[in-house]
Amino acid sequence: MSFTGFGEVAERLRRSTVQVASGRRGLGSGIVVKSDGFIATNAHVVGPVVAPGVDNPGLSVQLPDGSSFPGRLEARNTRRDLALLRIPALNLTPATLGDSDDLRVGELVMAVGNPLGFMGAVTTGIVHAIGRRPGLGPTKWIQAEVQLAPGNSGGPLADARGNVVGMNTMVAEGLGLAVPSNAVARLLAGELQQASLGVVVRGVPVRTRGAERLGLAVLDVATGGAAEFASLRAGDILVGIEGRDLRSLDDLEGALEGNQERVLRVQFVRGDPNKIRSVAIRLHCPEVAVA
Amino acid sequence: MENAMVSLSNELAKLVERFQPDVVAVHARPHYPSSGVLWRPDIIVTADHTVRREEDIQVTLSDGRTVDAALVGRDPGSDVAALRVKDLGAPIAHPTTEARGSDPVKTGELALVLGRSPDSGPNAGLGIISAVSGPWRTWRGGRLDHYIRLDATLFPNSSGGMVVDCRGQILGIATSALSRIAGLAIPASSVNRVMDGLLDKGYVARGYFGIGVQPVAVPEALREKLSLPNQSGVMVVSIEPGGPADRAGVVLGDIVVGLGDTSLEGIEDLQSFSDSGAIGKPVKARLIRAGAAAEVMITVGERPAR
Repeated sequence: MSFTGFGEVAERLRRSTVQVASGRRGLGSGIVVKSDGFIATNAHVVGPVVAPGVDNPGLSVQLPDGSSFPGRLEARNTRRDLALLRIPALNLTPATLGDSDDLRVGELVMAVGNPLGFMGAVTTGIVHAIGRRPGLGPTKWIQAEVQLAPGNSGGPLADARGNVVGMNTMVAEGLGLAVPSNAVARLLAGELQQASLGVVVRGVPVRTRGAERLGLAVLDVATGGAAEFASLRAGDILVGIEGRDLRSLDDLEGALEGNQERVLRVQFVRGDPNKIRSVAIRLHCPEVAVA
Repeated sequence: MENAMVSLSNELAKLVERFQPDVVAVHARPHYPSSGVLWRPDIIVTADHTVRREEDIQVTLSDGRTVDAALVGRDPGSDVAALRVKDLGAPIAHPTTEARGSDPVKTGELALVLGRSPDSGPNAGLGIISAVSGPWRTWRGGRLDHYIRLDATLFPNSSGGMVVDCRGQILGIATSALSRIAGLAIPASSVNRVMDGLLDKGYVARGYFGIGVQPVAVPEALREKLSLPNQSGVMVVSIEPGGPADRAGVVLGDIVVGLGDTSLEGIEDLQSFSDSGAIGKPVKARLIRAGAAAEVMITVGERPAR
């Protein structure tokens, strides 16, 4: 049997697939989206403490030819688990983004990535379903019958023509879940911008004024990030935004969405849980629009 | 770039589009809905093991509506259950669900498993037919016309879904409950046969003799003396008082070696006979009683509901 098949499509896709390393977070994959150094990947591959526009020493990108470059975070959206990096390299081979709204259940798809550090591994299957997953909120996922492993995160899921229709992000019940490529395109167009607070948080129960509520304990504050400028410290517990109680991490992530420079008032407790303090945090959103 | 992959991809997506209007999600157990197929007008088939309650059943249709369904009947033996939804109408993609008759299913053919999830709509799994054989008795006691093993992954909501071949013919209903090692397709012909019984009575009637039996070897000397073809038969070890065999005068210790014109070598032959629609008819049972041949006429009864 000889035809332009999986092999050729995979080979083209491999040239646009990179490996993203972010120090402590381990390895993931990335998609070259523009020849002058723009790489799309998952926010969870990049890790939580880098702020957009700030150099992060641990972040590096390895190209298929083996060369390696330091990466800088340009934009991200943690709600959609997307990040855009830039590396100082030219003449890269960008992947072609397809229209994920046209993708149909049953279509053949192919995932390329670096599962467990093995570079350029290919897996194929069909689109099992497109839509919500129970327990994963209202967002739309491309659910594919492809075998993914840690390290595939951030890599391309392409249709039979080799156009990228999604970004492989997680595994649920053996199905590969990918963020639709149209969400990646929106991030590139600057529409999914999300400011970074520059904190690592973890949900904890807090008792303030006799009532149990959700708090987000600050575990780490990024150097040079917005939270550090506002004098937030590790150990502070965030309890509200603009006077409204936090009910989930999504409330915080949602409040950070938008591409205007603005001030966000965050309520938190430090030490005495009955004393709720408030801080004004200036949010910067670097202009990103990859034409 | 048009290539063989693109055409295959298109064909698969078209098959999903064509058949998905007849595939529903079935809500009849906690946590995980299963799938079902609109099989005949107003009638949905699903995998019986996914029906964990007999009332308060709903189905989610291809247009997104969730409507009430009534349980028509169920046959755990073949893992088939039938639901009725008022005014649902006839299947769209397959007005009649005929078995793929003249042309048997072959190992290695591609097969799609189509299901529906209330969260994400239609879903599809692809694999090959990994094994096929002739008539087969399930561990639940039902008889299927073929054993059709799938290598597609069956997810919790795949059972009850439609198995379609690459030519767009319905092979059957997917189930994960009839084999420990793989998903199976309950053949369309078996579904049709079971469905007839379910629509008629709400269950599949099975023949009944009212005896408990133990397979035993027929000694060589006895075989020669009675000129029997049998290597073995089944010895009657219990008799239901007032049951068909009791009324016919069968006694403990009788060895049944034939029913009608066929010889009976073991329990499976007895079970096959019980399936065969002999209910209400007299059948000649050939026995060995006290070392001599004997015959009794038994009127086959219907197995009582448990």
